Amino acid sequence: MMTGRVPLARKNLFQDRRRAALSIAGVGFALVLVLVLDGVFAGAMHQVTAYMRTSPADVFVAQKDVRTMHMSQSAMPAETVDAVRNVDGVAWVEGLRYTTAAVEAGDDRLLTYVFGYDTATGRAGPKRIAEGRAPAAGEIVVDTTAAEELGVGIGETVSVLGQSFRISGLSTNGTNMVNTTVFVRTEDFANMRGTSYAYVLAGAEPGVSADELARRVASALPETTVQTRPEFVRQEARIVRDMAADVMAIMSVIGFLIALAVVGLTLFTATLGKLREYGVVKALGAGSGRLAATVAAQAAWSVALGLVLAVVLSVVVGAAIGALTPNVEVLVKPGSVFRTGVGALAIGGIAALLPLRRVVRVDPATAFRRP
Amino acid sequence: MDGSAISVRQLTKTFGEGDVAVHAVRALDLDIAAGEVVLIMGPSGSGKTTLLLMLGAMLRPTSGSVVVDGVDLADAPERRLPALRARHLGFIFQDFNLLSALSSLENVELACNLAGRTGRAARQRATELLERVGLVDRLHFHPDQLSGGEKQRVAIARALANNPRVILADEPTANLDSGHGREIARLLRQFAIEDGRSVVMVSHDERLKEVADRVLWLEDGAFRELAAMGTDPVCGMAVEQQGNGAHYQLDGTTWWFCSPACRDDFAAHPDKYQIREPA
Repeated sequence: MMTGRVPLARKNLFQDRRRAALSIAGVGFALVLVLVLDGVFAGAMHQVTAYMRTSPADVFVAQKDVRTMHMSQSAMPAETVDAVRNVDGVAWVEGLRYTTAAVEAGDDRLLTYVFGYDTATGRAGPKRIAEGRAPAAGEIVVDTTAAEELGVGIGETVSVLGQSFRISGLSTNGTNMVNTTVFVRTEDFANMRGTSYAYVLAGAEPGVSADELARRVASALPETTVQTRPEFVRQEARIVRDMAADVMAIMSVIGFLIALAVVGLTLFTATLGKLREYGVVKALGAGSGRLAATVAAQAAWSVALGLVLAVVLSVVVGAAIGALTPNVEVLVKPGSVFRTGVGALAIGGIAALLPLRRVVRVDPATAFRRP
Repeated sequence: MDGSAISVRQLTKTFGEGDVAVHAVRALDLDIAAGEVVLIMGPSGSGKTTLLLMLGAMLRPTSGSVVVDGVDLADAPERRLPALRARHLGFIFQDFNLLSALSSLENVELACNLAGRTGRAARQRATELLERVGLVDRLHFHPDQLSGGEKQRVAIARALANNPRVILADEPTANLDSGHGREIARLLRQFAIEDGRSVVMVSHDERLKEVADRVLWLEDGAFRELAAMGTDPVCGMAVEQQGNGAHYQLDGTTWWFCSPACRDDFAAHPDKYQIREPA
């Protein structure tokens, strides 16, 4: 309601504090479902793209039409590395060998990305080795979270691509809900899978932008696909999003429907209980528009407070999930809150429709009838 | 409209059509002067509330005109009626009808808001009115914390919020005990005299006759001469004398009754009821 006017909507909503609390809590919990799901999804995307995001490379070169790591196979001849190196504006290049496989320890196994990298430069290796050191021949770096899940540590042995490796170090931020990452020497990888490269990473010379470098490499190597790092990250995120989009949409719709039911039911009940009073206000001179605004404001209050509660709860729930299951990251982003807020306001509007209809139609003469 | 606060001409309200038509109000003429207190009485179903609703711009007449404060309510477009109510009329209801979520002050302030006054001005006006009805120490009390008399005083303050020329009161004392009923009647009279407001009360309460400048008897949708009315000595109702079969002669005096049942009751125990003289 406008400033300087008696806030009838808010007063009505909070007159029965228990009902208001239940309504707000109901909306809050329903929206938590939406926000946490969105957060889990955002966290998963953040984790899945972690290797690319933290890479020092400005451009990634892959086999023609290969734009992602997930659900892709890329193979390029070893000469591609030199061909990229010869492009004007390239400061450095690094061949990356890569495949998907399983890392096994005893009866435990996890799906993994296997990276073969040059340990001398470390550019295509793990972002950070938290414990131990880079792999030597016959050695492997395993992600900390995966090592915990497999129950192994430095000095112990895991099996990848049918070959045993001794763990030399533990990396971080390489495990997500779906898989993990392991790193071996590029020579060891070549011994197992051949000398071809999956990707070539390239850094730009000072003064050359990533976009410009990508254009130059693409022009020089037309039989490849060249992407800047942000584009590579976007493509990777997109394929993951596309794979999960239907499930996410269904779960979000369920969350919103629960919120709609909660807001709709409480608002309708509250409005019916106040119908006579709305008749009195109408008799005193309020137009239907004003009464409608009062009901709409009540819906907006319920949804807004429910959203605030949901944001707080989702952050708490996200932190709890992260603590209990390290491979699941919950990221509640402002964009997600905004989208959920817009959705929540929309359901508030829908929920208010039926009560609005009743209020707009209320006869002011109701005030003269005996209750 | 010759200075009348309310001028009603040939006001008619008929519900339904043909054989099932109900003539709730029949061609009423009525003028109420500024500052005049008019009490409209009549049996249930006589058309009192229908008349009040038409005077209050809440019910469209079938024909005729209702001019309040210079505005013909019968002619006004539907969308203008809320604003007309908010600016020209004050309402007092039998059941007080205060908004339960609001304090006394907010109840009155809301009416100020509806009349176009907001913010500090509305709050100040509401406070003054509640002071005027003697509720300065109840400003922040909610309706469930007030007595019946206090609630009705808040309702009176609310009815005055928009400074209306006309106050319409529906059974304003019906839910009050004798003391509070007189207090409310006195307040209404006071505001009529001091502010020059016209007060139209619809009631069964005989006590309100004390503060009324004029008492009108409405029956079957038309005003009757009060001179031709009597009081049933059994139930106390005002009853029509002419053409009323329910009467009884005793010691040369005629007694009038609302029904044969009251008459028979009286005839069986006349000593019990003769304290009241026939009107």
